[in-house]
Amino acid sequence: MTEAAKEKAFRVHLMVCAGTGCVSNHSFEIKEALEKEIKKLGLDNEVLVVTTGCNGFCERGPLLVVQPGNIFYQQLTVKDVPHLVEEHLLKGRPVKKLMYTPPKEKTPIPVLSDIDFFRKQVLIALRNRGLIDPEKIDEYIARDGYVAMGKALTQMTPEKIIAEITISGLRGRGGAGFPTGLKWQMVRNAVSANGGAKYLICNGDEGDPGAFMDRSILEADPHSVIEGMLIGAKAVGATQGFVYVRNEYPLAIKRMTIALEQARAYGLLGQDILGTGFDFDIKIVRGAGAFVCGEETALIASVEGRLGEPRTRPPYPAQSGLWGQPTGINNVETWANVPSIIARGAKWYASIGTPTSKGTKVFSLVGKINNTGLVEVPMGITLREIIYDIGGGIPGGKAFKAVQTGGPSGGCIPKEQLDLPIDYESLTQAGSMMGSGGMVVMDEDTCMVDVARYFLSFTQDESCGKCTPCREGTKAMLDILTRITEGKGTEEDLSLLQDMALAVKDSALCGLGKTAPNPVLTTMRYFLNEYETHIRDKKCPAHVCRQLNVYTIDEERCLNKGKGCDLCRRNCASDAIQGAKNEAHRIDQSKCIKCGVCFDVCNFGAVKVD
Amino acid sequence: MINLTIDGKKIEVEDGKTILQAAAKNDIRIPTLCYHPVLEPYAACRICVVEVGLRGKTDLLTACNTKAQEGMEVQTRSKRALGARRMNVEMLLARAPAAEPIQKLAKELGIEKTRFAVKDPNEKCILCGLCVRACEQIVGASAISFVERGTERKVTPPFGEPSEACIGCTACAYFCPTGAITYEDKYGRKVIHEELHLGPTTAIRVPIRQAVPMVPFIDTDACIHFKTGECKVCAKVCDREAVNYDAQDEVIEVEAGTIILASGFKSFDAKRIPAYGYGRFPNVISALDFERLVNASGPTGGKIKLADGSEPTAVGIVHCVGSRDENYNEYCSRVCCMYALKFAHLIHEKAHADVYNFYIDLRCFGKGYEEFYHRLLKEGTKFIRGRVSDISDMALTKHEEGKLIIRVEDTLLGMVRRIPVDMVILATGLEPGLDQNQLAKIFNISCSQDTFFLERHPKLAPMSTFSDGIFLAGTCQAPRDIPDTVAQAGGAAAEALALADKGTFALEPVTAEINKDLCSGCQVCVGLCPFTAIVYEKDEGHSEINDALCKGCGTCVAACPSGAAQQKHFRDAQIFAEIEGIFLV
Repeated sequence: MTEAAKEKAFRVHLMVCAGTGCVSNHSFEIKEALEKEIKKLGLDNEVLVVTTGCNGFCERGPLLVVQPGNIFYQQLTVKDVPHLVEEHLLKGRPVKKLMYTPPKEKTPIPVLSDIDFFRKQVLIALRNRGLIDPEKIDEYIARDGYVAMGKALTQMTPEKIIAEITISGLRGRGGAGFPTGLKWQMVRNAVSANGGAKYLICNGDEGDPGAFMDRSILEADPHSVIEGMLIGAKAVGATQGFVYVRNEYPLAIKRMTIALEQARAYGLLGQDILGTGFDFDIKIVRGAGAFVCGEETALIASVEGRLGEPRTRPPYPAQSGLWGQPTGINNVETWANVPSIIARGAKWYASIGTPTSKGTKVFSLVGKINNTGLVEVPMGITLREIIYDIGGGIPGGKAFKAVQTGGPSGGCIPKEQLDLPIDYESLTQAGSMMGSGGMVVMDEDTCMVDVARYFLSFTQDESCGKCTPCREGTKAMLDILTRITEGKGTEEDLSLLQDMALAVKDSALCGLGKTAPNPVLTTMRYFLNEYETHIRDKKCPAHVCRQLNVYTIDEERCLNKGKGCDLCRRNCASDAIQGAKNEAHRIDQSKCIKCGVCFDVCNFGAVKVD
Repeated sequence: MINLTIDGKKIEVEDGKTILQAAAKNDIRIPTLCYHPVLEPYAACRICVVEVGLRGKTDLLTACNTKAQEGMEVQTRSKRALGARRMNVEMLLARAPAAEPIQKLAKELGIEKTRFAVKDPNEKCILCGLCVRACEQIVGASAISFVERGTERKVTPPFGEPSEACIGCTACAYFCPTGAITYEDKYGRKVIHEELHLGPTTAIRVPIRQAVPMVPFIDTDACIHFKTGECKVCAKVCDREAVNYDAQDEVIEVEAGTIILASGFKSFDAKRIPAYGYGRFPNVISALDFERLVNASGPTGGKIKLADGSEPTAVGIVHCVGSRDENYNEYCSRVCCMYALKFAHLIHEKAHADVYNFYIDLRCFGKGYEEFYHRLLKEGTKFIRGRVSDISDMALTKHEEGKLIIRVEDTLLGMVRRIPVDMVILATGLEPGLDQNQLAKIFNISCSQDTFFLERHPKLAPMSTFSDGIFLAGTCQAPRDIPDTVAQAGGAAAEALALADKGTFALEPVTAEINKDLCSGCQVCVGLCPFTAIVYEKDEGHSEINDALCKGCGTCVAACPSGAAQQKHFRDAQIFAEIEGIFLV
């Protein structure tokens, strides 16, 4: 933005989503095209193109919201730009064909807030999403940014801040749900060794497959995290903060770096903040992408420059953390919640949610779901609401089978529990956990044994290897699951798997190991019949475990419908298919390697899988 | 104090103690793998898991690092604890099937075979991290660490290459419970045969088995603390707090009326005879090496072994190494024949090997010695009369291959023989101590031609010296065996005591004196006096004689150019008068 543009008022703002998903879908190119087109039409004094953080509706990217009016455009391409600019901006006619049309419906919905995906969401942590340019502190301030910090620094005592957070009922959004107020109180009460400093850490080591909440917040609204940490620092008496981000999030690191520089330049970070005599600064620490470093003691070890492996708690980091000093660690989303609580009051926050879990939770809704994206919902909302109302249901008319929450540490919840109101306790009771907020939806084509195997292969790979149960146990469990998916499982494997899962859960050192068996335990709890079918009948009901599949060709169909098109034979890698054009084809089972290519290429549905 | 129950037993422990410590104090055994009392608990193996009930909640916790708390109810062998422990041991058994502690533990817990896939049947490492922690916390070197994740995890120096950070202390191997860490000894096994350096010794040890006082000392050259400033394990484990790292060598001054010199001998260095190959062939060892080897507290536990660890089938003992030899020492060392016979007997008894003795003359003097020689003859020890010319490993025939060949002129057969053996023991002789001459100077006594201390009279005063109040005992005077040394030492002690008991001693009446008026201060006498009895008084410009030191030898009297030095009772005037008297008659 030029200096002139800063003071200028514009008729229209075009909010181009620059979240990671949209960026990889060329949203920056769209931005350039928009600017070029606007200039061409001489609208550059009236229209401003803004890049925002993640909008959340990633399924439909690249996204563009036209303000005022809140008109939502989706799945844009560079080719659409001239038409869009001319029609909407010059002629004032919104372009219907670029708007969002819900599945099964015909009329597009022009306004963002009318779309189901957005309508049921309550935005606190993501309050600025799609509205501000994350690289401009002024825009954050314009949205009442740093007001809460000002209030905390000038009008509130540390005790008052902690009391406020405690009353709000905010709990750790990293997954375990430890009450944040209590944690802060512990850090505040802890006596630093040798009169040293106290520290704050923002845990941005998000590693769950399919989870991208923290990344999105850091990319879309880094100042909300900084502000949250400043308030926390005042509350616990910390002088130095660290934001731990994995190096795989270059955009988050870049935007956080810019945000820190801007905050420092505005005197909102560093020495004597707002003239109150309060000092606090924040450093970025880049993680090398080990999943275990999301565990707080391993994260601290990593920040200290040691091997990223956890240690036993107690002592908790609040008592003895970074370099042996009292350290408050909270997740990105937790920090982002803090400013709103201080600004709007604990009572307002506590009015949202369930008796034990207050406020909202951000979930990344992925998997077999129509509206993939980032959603922030109030606690107590049911899974059904998230999946069917916000998520728009399962694509392709398939049946819902299960939803996996909590990432590799969580569990699979079956359709019988779809009306489960989501909070920390209910999810734990169902055998899963809140986790950092990954939500993977699975349909009838998903094999639950394979899901368990997938998540275990992840934890097995990410286990730091310090303690026996996690290192050896996850590998041994993975071996058993692999055996089962290959049709080599035995009845004994089931009981062994159960015993092992319980032993690992019970005796592992840190949260990673203690929760790693959850996918196995929940799938065994809710989908034991699938395991049994794999073992007894050597069949995979969802036909995912290829080693168990038997491919055959319906000869009649092949000849009648496809006229023996020969496509399958030509694609078969192992020469297992016999036949020629205009002949019925057959598969030689002894040669078949079960790769499934014939099934995929047959245009006439003649290849059957059993 | 904290009250808790372990396995139903009421227990009281000090605040801050762990469950494991509380249990150990009450003889309740909780198995551990990654725990070591001097290292910080790591809680990684999860073998010491116990079921802990506290405030209505039960949890599975590791005993090694969970502090005992008031009201805890600990069950070390509950179904839940045993289940997890068993599963963890079974998994470790799959990981490290060759690790003995795991095999033992598995047996104890009733695990016969692991149900999990074994990757490497020879694996020993259980990833307990004791080595890594020892290197960091004890040694302070941090030369090894874990690398990789999960099942790929392993212990290695940086980049898997020999590290400069490693000080070669082998603490890692010492702490390793499964023998997974081995280290390459720079000298191979040869080092154990180097003189008085049989294998690596610990940094804390009692100097010798018969040391007085019988207390250990810290060898600062070997002690890790003196290398890195860390460790201090000995101080941690010493209940009496007797370890003092600041102790320094100190000079003690003692005022004594009488002195007994018993400064001992030095063993002949067999390397001085290159033809015998000591230091070149690992299986050519000296008598002292053999003593250490055969000692029950020695590196092999008293088993007679070759450098490669095997037992010898034939051993040669070469007599008179460095003794009775014009090139080295002409005297007989007196003790070698008998100890060589003792060796032969020990080898017979312990290794059942053939023993060859190569001797010039067998000197089995004294009570029972000749009988011992006869016993050995009966035992089948072979005696070959002749001096060994050289020892080599150059085989000429097949049965000499891999052996040491002793070439000797058998003077009884009148021919040169080659005797192949596995081990050669060199019966090294006794030599005067290295600082013998300096000691003699300090104590004002003399040495004989071979630099052993000179006694006042070989028959009439064998423990006295020419300095009154200074006596001799043992091999500093001449080679002798233990009975002779004990006898002489007893005599020397009696003489010293008699003198001390008397409290006074009579001065030599015939001493020299210097006439101050005549002395020109030329100091000729000072250098000549064998008893350092004359000092030059610089301020006064003349020399003076100490009556207590002067033996009245008259050297100064004869040498004094000005006639200032005179012998009391034998003054020049008196002697001249006597001469005159003779001529008068």
